Amino acid sequence: MRLIHLKLAARNVRRQPHRTIALGGAVAFSALVMTLISGFVNGMDSAIQDNVTLYAGGHVLVSGYTASWSGRLQNRFADEAVVDIVRNAYPDIRTVSPISQARATVVFGSREVQLTLRGIDWAKDQLYHDSLILSKGDWNGVASSRSMLMSAQTASRFGLSIGDQVMVRLTTASGQENITDYKVAGIYDDSAAGGMNSAFVSFVDLSADLNMKSNEQQEIGVFLRNSTDAEKAAQIITKALAAKGYTVSRGAMPNASAGNTADINAGTGLESAGSGQSAADSGPGYAGLSPRSHQLAPGTVVYRISTVQELAGEIGSALGSIRWIGYAIFILMLIVSATGISNSYRMVLLERTKEIGMLRCIGYKRRDVFSSFIAEGILLAGGAALVGVVLALPLGFGIGLVPFNPHGDFGAALVQGHLRFAPSLGQILLVLAFVTIVAIAAVFLPARKAAEIVPVEALRKTA
Amino acid sequence: MDISNIEKRLLNARLTSKLSIVLFGLVLVLGARAQGAPSGGGSHGGGAGGMMGGIGLPLNFLQADKDYKFPDDINKYTANDFLMLVRRTDIRSSFYNSDMSATISMVNVSPDRGTFVIKQQIFRRDKDDALLMIITEPESRKGQGMLRVDNNMWRYDPTSRKFTHTTLKETYENSTVTNNDFRRWQRSIDYSVEKISTGTLGNYKVIIGELKANNDEVPFPYIKMYIEADRKIVLKVEEYSLSMKLLRTAYYTQYVQIGDSFVPTVQIFQDGLIPEKRSQVTYTDISTKPLPDYYFTKEYLERVSQ
Repeated sequence: MRLIHLKLAARNVRRQPHRTIALGGAVAFSALVMTLISGFVNGMDSAIQDNVTLYAGGHVLVSGYTASWSGRLQNRFADEAVVDIVRNAYPDIRTVSPISQARATVVFGSREVQLTLRGIDWAKDQLYHDSLILSKGDWNGVASSRSMLMSAQTASRFGLSIGDQVMVRLTTASGQENITDYKVAGIYDDSAAGGMNSAFVSFVDLSADLNMKSNEQQEIGVFLRNSTDAEKAAQIITKALAAKGYTVSRGAMPNASAGNTADINAGTGLESAGSGQSAADSGPGYAGLSPRSHQLAPGTVVYRISTVQELAGEIGSALGSIRWIGYAIFILMLIVSATGISNSYRMVLLERTKEIGMLRCIGYKRRDVFSSFIAEGILLAGGAALVGVVLALPLGFGIGLVPFNPHGDFGAALVQGHLRFAPSLGQILLVLAFVTIVAIAAVFLPARKAAEIVPVEALRKTA
Repeated sequence: MDISNIEKRLLNARLTSKLSIVLFGLVLVLGARAQGAPSGGGSHGGGAGGMMGGIGLPLNFLQADKDYKFPDDINKYTANDFLMLVRRTDIRSSFYNSDMSATISMVNVSPDRGTFVIKQQIFRRDKDDALLMIITEPESRKGQGMLRVDNNMWRYDPTSRKFTHTTLKETYENSTVTNNDFRRWQRSIDYSVEKISTGTLGNYKVIIGELKANNDEVPFPYIKMYIEADRKIVLKVEEYSLSMKLLRTAYYTQYVQIGDSFVPTVQIFQDGLIPEKRSQVTYTDISTKPLPDYYFTKEYLERVSQ
């Protein structure tokens, strides 16, 4: 394609402004819709991941398991050096904070509900303040001792309000039953929780309930600046810990999502004469160690690194569905655009038969005619697509300002009640590339027919 | 044909016939073993192994109980006497010399779920701390089961045909009953006596013992046992959390004597936090007939659940 072809194409585009606007408008609209869809799917994707991450405790979770006197692996460890290694292993970390958690039964009156109780260091985890919407109560109250931040759904089911006392039944890190009291100090909007029923309390309080020492923790939650780096960060953290001589493995622990605070069996196969609860009664085998196959010495600590993607497999599959719907609409819009462009250029071919004949008479070759048609298609569709993409950006961000019902079906995909519009440069370039390729394909047949026109025949027919 | 040849042939025939009988017997024995059935000779699958063969039991657990002399006056009980009394109740409520099978009817009352009844068949081999339970009612749950063997415990769902690992401390069917309640008792192993006193429970004179768990992996850190001294049976057990709050109260209201065992056939469990939540477990059709070894296998549970 030479400059002359582009000049001719540009002149033709300008020559019939009404048709150019009509055709370009259709293409621009398609590009706009495609950009909006891809931007919002991307935004929903990241919003869901962020919400899941928030309830999971971080993009990357480092869980420590210490072998007890019986060989049972208890979900607890006390090693400050691990926190430092994790903090320094990967540069793009937002926060690193200790986490304790338990699968607990909350009792109020004669009602009870099972939920995941998460211990948060409110001073370190500013992210929770930024991300959770408090519908009742305030953050100062939530941060005070023996206070609980409860989900709106649970509060509504129990008829709970701020100041009510609830009893919490949980299992300590070593596997003993415990009952404690908490005061409801805040109620958060749980529409973004994706079905996960969680309540938040102070890390110190929950650690005490779990009968852990003040220097012990169960997990380290790592929030990254970019959620897509979770796998990479997990690998680097795994290598960094292994390099320092720690026993580390990758992947989510069985039942980890259930908040199993203790009871990961080292597979000792030994039943102490002093314990009616055999070691093997404690839970599933750890890291592929089959019961009766390995015996860890008391005090031995093993670490497991997992990512939010591994923990949120089901939500990930729901996201996959949203993506496929987006792709389907994208393809539909491309087909509509292609049909429009192809039909328009068939008309153009009829209108310009005489002109093509004259061009061929003054020395234009078949190749030149073909190239000028293709160039016109690229100019028109590419320009229109660019306009569509540019218009989509303010429109998308504008829609992002509209408040949506956080209790609706898309609650988990909202950020503080708003849709997130997050188109990536790659997606924008992809939209432009696809529209251009489709335009070339749509113009191809009319262009070939135009190139095959016999000059004398064309002049005779249109004389 | 001379006589010596005839004698030789007769001798050969006798030897062959004896060898055939021996081989036939060997085949029968091996065949029976392969199917998991008792191999004969009076050594049944369940009762074999003698008094000291119990899995997870401390040495002399059963033997020491036999000759122990308890004080005649309940006010003279020491902590050690009480621990031995707990051991006596542990041993007498269990079946160390035989297998046990029974039908269990469980009535659960809960403010959230209302009243629901579950019936199941239980097979226990206390010597090996093994048990198999299969739900027979309601129809929707029929075939679901639980197996404990080699210190591991699984639930089985015939619909998904999957075994899932479970633990003794997990609640059974979201009731106040735990998996541990279907197993043999061994409180005297898990706890040590902190304090004893005497009192009455209804019309019965009881010794009340406050016990503390021997280690931090026993689910209930503290329990309070009410034992009737005359019959040496447990009437009531209160289970407390680490924070000393009442988690659950178990009442053993009815006993049946079977051989040397005193089986608590009616057990009532009341939740400590929600008193309206309670379960009654009733044992009927108790049998001590020996059970085949294959009963305590995953394959059997899978097969019988179909």
